[in-house]
Amino acid sequence: MARYDRAITVFSPDGHLFQVEYALEAVRKGNAAVGVRGTDTIVLGVEKKSTAKLQDSRSVRKIVNLDQHIALACAGLKADARVLINRARIECQSHRLTVEDPVTVEYITRYIAGLQQKYTQSGGVRPFGLSTLIIGFDPYTGAPSLYQTDPSGTFSAWKANATGRNSNSIREFLEKNYKETSGQETVKLAIRALLEVVESGGKNIEIAVMTRGDGLRQLEEAEIDAIVAEIEAEKAAAEAAKKAPPKET
Amino acid sequence: MSRRYDSRTTIFSPEGRLYQVEYAMEAIGNAGSAIGILAKDGVVLVGEKKVTSKLLQTSTSTEKMYKIDDHVACAVAGIMSDANILINTARVQAQRYTFAYQEPMPVEQLVQSLCDTKQGYTQYGGLRPFGVSFLFAGWDKNYGFQLYMSDPSGNYGGWKAAAIGANNQAAQSILKQDYKDEISREEAIQLALKVLSKTMDSTSLTSDKLELAEVFLMPSGNVKYQVCSADSLNKLLAKFGVAQPSTEA
Amino acid sequence: MEVLLGITTSTSTIVVASKAAMRGATILKTSDDKTIILNPHTLMAFSGEAGDTLNFSEYIAANTALYSMRNDAHLSPSATASFIREELARSLRSRKPYNVNLLLGGVDPISKEPGLWWLDYLASSARVPYAAHGYAQYYCLSILDKHHHPSISEDRGLEILRMCTDELQRRLPIDFKGMTVKIVGQEGIREIPWDMSRPIMAA
Repeated sequence: MARYDRAITVFSPDGHLFQVEYALEAVRKGNAAVGVRGTDTIVLGVEKKSTAKLQDSRSVRKIVNLDQHIALACAGLKADARVLINRARIECQSHRLTVEDPVTVEYITRYIAGLQQKYTQSGGVRPFGLSTLIIGFDPYTGAPSLYQTDPSGTFSAWKANATGRNSNSIREFLEKNYKETSGQETVKLAIRALLEVVESGGKNIEIAVMTRGDGLRQLEEAEIDAIVAEIEAEKAAAEAAKKAPPKET
Repeated sequence: MSRRYDSRTTIFSPEGRLYQVEYAMEAIGNAGSAIGILAKDGVVLVGEKKVTSKLLQTSTSTEKMYKIDDHVACAVAGIMSDANILINTARVQAQRYTFAYQEPMPVEQLVQSLCDTKQGYTQYGGLRPFGVSFLFAGWDKNYGFQLYMSDPSGNYGGWKAAAIGANNQAAQSILKQDYKDEISREEAIQLALKVLSKTMDSTSLTSDKLELAEVFLMPSGNVKYQVCSADSLNKLLAKFGVAQPSTEA
Repeated sequence: MEVLLGITTSTSTIVVASKAAMRGATILKTSDDKTIILNPHTLMAFSGEAGDTLNFSEYIAANTALYSMRNDAHLSPSATASFIREELARSLRSRKPYNVNLLLGGVDPISKEPGLWWLDYLASSARVPYAAHGYAQYYCLSILDKHHHPSISEDRGLEILRMCTDELQRRLPIDFKGMTVKIVGQEGIREIPWDMSRPIMAA
């Protein structure tokens, strides 16, 4: 085994690319990130390691714009993310310049995934320790989309998905609870999913909402808190309803 | 166990970690410490000089503080030869920006460009990461006074008060306790000296073991980087009562 | 015979460009927009060689947009002017330089100060209170010189511009098919209609 996990460009005898798998491990250690696609709204949420009291919250944003109509959230190595985001932003503008049209969500996802793939097959480099969630409305059809990429350079489209720490439990939750939603309901679903693995409260969550035509908006902490409170009230009500019927019989 | 994954910087360990980066951070844990504090009217940097031999001619210039541009300065902890290279590239970047835009480079951009260089050394080629952490203090017209901290991984963040180098965790926790928003520059100096007096190994603080620099605005509106002279540093130490070990103890 | 005009007022910068797209003596289009928005407070007007103008302007627009995306902050008009000047200087020394003349109008997002820059294909760049490119220089600079003052209101600025476009209509031998008028104000960029149907007789 030892031989085959040092040079990243080669397969091990049983067909593994160890460096890529280890990079995925870095992703699993990263903050949880979730994306939910609604009909007129797409939501990205990430878990915020409670920012140290002395830290400036402006400089630790994890959901960013790639272009006016595309946003990205990621799990993994933050410094790697900066580099990848920079490259993607250049491509967005370069695409506008050459063909006079904004990129589609699929196009920029393919570009990012392609870049990530390159770092699994060229010499002297390690893969990006990053998994990304990319959202946006198609500039031509207006259709909402959500994509995910991982360190191997694979990408796929989703209705809702999660990555990073404990992403499995979030995904399970989404599989169970996903419905075609719109507006505030989509935001709620994303926050509910994140709350599966994150302590509740706006200071542990970062949420950005993209609506058709209006672009990306980062929610304020107070707004998130309000939604969290709403969700908790609903949960309590559901609990109570569950308990109530046996009493009557 | 770790031997297999620490001989080259560019590869992940099975747990998804980058050992070389972690070791580089380890190296900085032994270096002379530095503290940065953001005040409402400026930024204060204080550093601990390691006097290794009595025969060493202490340089007339500073050894932990470097001016990068008229509006940005940094404090260093770690391998000085590595730091020199990064400081040089930062200075070039700052001038290049001024040349292109005829205005000073925004502080965060300068920090980011330096951190991108750092990140590159953790991903490409058979290189080792830079064994340096920085504190950047600066002013720009967008965000006013700012303080940033960066580490060998290429991560950076904006802070109100931060510590790097030896005992940085102890220093950070004192800062967390005692930092108040909207403090003045003088209070910031007092706090920084107090923290150092508690975290430094030596029993008493003297001007030959310390360096103090400030970034602030002059009445003309120009940014000023000022290094405190030995005389005035001694006066400050006496004034704040940290020059001698307290007699009661 | 493309017309570019610019004027600063106490609160805004007004940029004017003729609507005719010409090739030789032929008018190809009467609704040409020779301006491009670089960011919410900076507008650029261009004239010169047909292909070069749009190509260069779009290149500049893409780069300023990239700057906004990357840094979560817009470039100030003065920084944009310096950037453009550098690009023009680089182009000038290349095998085939861009033949583009520009006016850059903007309002600084922090100081709120209006500004106007005059740039040409030789990479000259000058910050000016009012400016013109092409033949408009011959007819309008004297008017602007006489009437302009840094403290004029936006309405007064438009009045002075009206004198300029009237004079152009009076003196230029060909019809430039009306004007695009855009104002970079404190709240962003807006276009206003510019009626040129009133007949103006040559003296």
